[in-house]
Parts: sequence; structure tokens; C-alpha cells
Amino acid sequence: MKTVDAQGKMCPMPLIMTKKALSEISENETLEILIDNETSVKNVSRFLEEHNMGVAIEKQGNVFRLRVNKTGIIPEETRAEDFCETPMPVSSDYVIAVQKNKLGQGSDELGELLIKGFINTLPEIDNKPETLVFLNSGIFLALKGSPVIDSLSRLENEGTKILVCGTCLDYYQKKGELGVGIVSNMYDILNVLSHAAKVLYP
Amino acid sequence: MPYHIFTFNSTHHVLKAEKLLLGKGIKHEIIPTPKDISSDCGMAIRINPVVSDPNDIEGVLMKNQIDFRIFVQSFNQ
Repeated sequence: MKTVDAQGKMCPMPLIMTKKALSEISENETLEILIDNETSVKNVSRFLEEHNMGVAIEKQGNVFRLRVNKTGIIPEETRAEDFCETPMPVSSDYVIAVQKNKLGQGSDELGELLIKGFINTLPEIDNKPETLVFLNSGIFLALKGSPVIDSLSRLENEGTKILVCGTCLDYYQKKGELGVGIVSNMYDILNVLSHAAKVLYP
Repeated sequence: MPYHIFTFNSTHHVLKAEKLLLGKGIKHEIIPTPKDISSDCGMAIRINPVVSDPNDIEGVLMKNQIDFRIFVQSFNQ
């Protein structure tokens, strides 16, 4: 029995190795493939099953042991990498948490200039954030008359959720001046941050 | 109507120009200088000519001796 060790390999490597090994063994011979991540297990199984080869999967600790009987030929022109399904969703799944009305550390006036440039660029990039969260002095950016209010409205119209910290609006006495987004509490905000694939802190 | 983009020689001039425009109540947007204009990672000021008159801005900047260049860019990128 031939064994392919694809541990530590990311897609499409396990697929390519499996395809190559199958071409090297004879009909009805068994191939064993060792994989250490579930995504690759799914991809390789799907690849084999679509070529009418049943797979037996056994999990031992962190290693998946796939066994397949070669029952047919995988055409040379089949692109193994087409069976790659990375866990990365294509849609936007990131959140930007704006914790102050400046970007980065250092000069305040530079930080204020940079955050305006940052937010004014967001409507123009392809991968827009799923949600924007404004906390502490960050809320000033979401007030009526803010220098970035047009960009934020554009983002909101195009589907980005905008959450503004209610406690912060209250603290700075700006409740009546909110220009965009919805007033949120820490439950909503933490819920959004904890479910985000990633969070950017400008 | 295409956007007018004002670029400057330094970030300090951008800040100075911004202060002047804010003081005059002239609506504008701070943006990173578009890559097709300059590869520097500078900041620029964008004007929507429907909202603000570029001539006003030119006047203010020249009066205050701030060097600038103007680029015209279409809305749909």
C-alpha cells in the first residue's frame, strides 16, 4: 500500500499529491493519504468521490488517515487545485473598531488627518467592512457635520453596518448630534467584535 | 462633474490648507493622494465642484502662499 504524507500541507498540495500518487499505482491498489486539517480532508474526499472512488476516513489524534481503492483513472487534464475550497469566505467579514478620532499614535493633528483619509478611502475599496464600530472619541467621526460623514453615509447605504457606542455619546453629550449609524450598547458591540473574522483597530 | 484633487508639497501644507478651508467653511474631503497621481503616500484634498467652487479654494491657497497642484478625476473609478 502506498502512503502519501500530506501533513502540514495546505491546499492544493494534498490534492496534487493524491492525484500524482493515484497515477502511480495500479488498479484496485489502496492508497493511504495522511492529512492534518479538516479542510484538506473535505477537499480530497470530494475530489476522490467525484471520480467515483469511495474514501474511508479514520481519525487518529490530529491526523486523518484516508484510504482509497483506485477504481478508475483520473484524467490528466483534471485540475486538482479546482477542488480547493479554502475556509476563507469571499464576502467581507471584517470589522473596523474606531476607538478614537485619530489614527495611530503620535502627533494629534497628523492622526486626525490620517483618520479622515482612512475613512474617506473605505467607500472606494473592493473589500468593504461588514461593520464599523465607533467607541470613545471615535464617535465624533459619526456626528453631524463630521468631515467624514459623507463617506460613512455612503458606506451605510452600500450595506456596511455602523454601530456607535451609546455610553460614549452620552458621556460627550452628543446624543442629539448623531449623523450616521445606530446607537449601540456593549452587548451588541462585543457580539459584533467577537464574531468578526478579523477586527481592524486603526 | 469630476472631482478636483489638490495635492501639496508636504503634509504640513495639507494641514495648513485644511485649517484654512475649515475656517472659511469650504466643504472638502481629506483623501490619500490617488496612486495614479503620485506614488508618495501623501494626503490630498478632494473637492466636489458641485458643492464647493475650486476657484474659491485656489484663491484661499494662493493668498496664503501654499503651493499646490490640481488634478481632475472622474467620479467612477
